[in-house]
Amino acid sequence: MTTSATPPPAQRNGVSKAEPAPPAGRSRRGGGRSPVRRRADTRFVLLCLLPALVLFAVFMIVPTLNVFRMSFYTWSGFSPDMRFVGLDNFRALLDDRQFVRAFQNTVALLVVVTVVTTVMGLFLAALMTRQRLRGRNLYRFVLYVPNVLSVVVIAAIFSAVYDQENGLLNGALRLLSLDGLQQVWLGNQKIVLYSVAVAMVWQSLGYYMVLYMSSMASVPEELYEASALDGASPTRQFFALTLPLIWENLRTTLTFFIMSAVNLSFVLVRAMTGGGPDGSSEVLLSYMYKQAYTNSSYGYGMAIGVVIFAFSFLVSLLVSRATRREPLRY
Amino acid sequence: MKASTRTALLVATRTLLAAACVTLVVTARTTAGWDSLLVMLAALAGLLALLASYNRRFR
Repeated sequence: MTTSATPPPAQRNGVSKAEPAPPAGRSRRGGGRSPVRRRADTRFVLLCLLPALVLFAVFMIVPTLNVFRMSFYTWSGFSPDMRFVGLDNFRALLDDRQFVRAFQNTVALLVVVTVVTTVMGLFLAALMTRQRLRGRNLYRFVLYVPNVLSVVVIAAIFSAVYDQENGLLNGALRLLSLDGLQQVWLGNQKIVLYSVAVAMVWQSLGYYMVLYMSSMASVPEELYEASALDGASPTRQFFALTLPLIWENLRTTLTFFIMSAVNLSFVLVRAMTGGGPDGSSEVLLSYMYKQAYTNSSYGYGMAIGVVIFAFSFLVSLLVSRATRREPLRY
Repeated sequence: MKASTRTALLVATRTLLAAACVTLVVTARTTAGWDSLLVMLAALAGLLALLASYNRRFR
């Protein structure tokens, strides 16, 4: 800091027992400024922040509060009649079997997609970073391409892959004389959700792989060399070295997974199955959308929105608490 | 018991528990209802607890 180069005023005047100098940096930050000047500075900072704060309030806080408010009303969404019903919408949720099913599907997607994508993403990232694979840039490109595509395009691709008659999957099974394994991939209530999950994993795998690769690439090579000299195997290196050093990145991606499981699943379900057959692939957001905009039960839809908000918030919070640790410096 | 054996046992137990939680989520989904949903949420909580227990020694 340059502040230490300037002697305090008492020393400059030749006084031997000077008063204690103000802490270094204080004078630079304007600690010695007059209260009027400080107030003016604060006002200026607040004025600069105001546009962003107004936009945040108008487009984030007000709509969120509005969702909470509307969940206490019954309203068709178009008519001027709005009736306050208190917690009736939430009480109705308890008896709604379709809501429970949508909730179950959301939890299943959250768990399955998160586990599969994290494990595969970490494995592929470690493979691409640590192993000198020939043509790894090509693999990286091929794995990342789905992330560039629109989710609706991915839904169209997978709808074609899963087609019962002319689809790639059933066609390949026929070619391999595995006719018994052929399925109606988007029409079978037992497997339709996992067909959507495969599309979700395919879409997001490349993105997370690149994220993990970027943090793995920043781990110093000397650490790996030192551990190799100590006799650590590549697996041991991964768990004892790589994983702890990319932990902050892993934490962030876990929060992303929660958001994408809720948001991305809606678009894929909407474009691939429409929630069918018989609601077996319905997720919370698609059910909320159906209730609010198709069934004209806006208040009921907003009550589902409140549940989604509370669930996402709670799970994100728990994941954040469960994975918190002191960041390692190297 | 040797430290390495204990570590191996701990890793194996955690892996098995995690696999059991994922299996529970998948199997409980086949039945629609609040009971099954609660089982699924408990399995999700189990996975988070495993994550927390793994992370505890790094805090």
